[in-house]
Amino acid sequence: MKRGEELIEVKEKITFKKLKPFLIEKDVIFEEIFEDKSTKFFLNLIEINNENIILQEGDEIAFLPPVTGG
Amino acid sequence: MIRITTESFNLEEEFNKITNSTNGAYSFFLGTVRSDIEKNQKINGIFLECYEKLAYQQLSQIQSKAIKYWKLNECVIIHRVGNLLVGEKIVLVLTSSNHRSDAIKSCEFIIDYLKIDAAFWKFNITGNEQIPIQAKEKDQKKFLMWKDVIA
Repeated sequence: MKRGEELIEVKEKITFKKLKPFLIEKDVIFEEIFEDKSTKFFLNLIEINNENIILQEGDEIAFLPPVTGG
Repeated sequence: MIRITTESFNLEEEFNKITNSTNGAYSFFLGTVRSDIEKNQKINGIFLECYEKLAYQQLSQIQSKAIKYWKLNECVIIHRVGNLLVGEKIVLVLTSSNHRSDAIKSCEFIIDYLKIDAAFWKFNITGNEQIPIQAKEKDQKKFLMWKDVIA
């Protein structure tokens, strides 16, 4: 999986669900990320349980593969 | 105390920081980089990265769960990130309590939980390659077992 940070600009307020196709259009790697059932999604350090949540300016979204610390 | 750091740590120094006459028991878990073989190549070390803001939050939540469930006097979690060679220290969990059971069980809980519920990722380094270490099913099982215990 690709690592790093990216700043995304959208013209209007959208939900996390609607952000998905937007990201896939930008980079096909996101298709793989969204299809991977083990990936967890976080919005401002809180796990996303409702994909209809509306994103705000400055929100930080993280796509996390299974962790392997310790 | 929780610390995420690229620097190594000294076990005795960390122990001395929490020593006091109330404690009747200390328990620690120290994880280190082990020598291994990956794809027929010798592992020279590991690379560890984290999502620091989230990792601090998650470690703090794990620590709070331990303090809530067991009678602990102190609870220290130190996790390293960056390039680590074989033999180097990765993680320290140090707990103290009046009686041994609380220190021992909480220490095991913290390291088991941390493996599944904290935003750290390990990569084996072989030659010039970084190979992601996969999450283990047995770790997931232990995590679920603890979830039942502390529920």
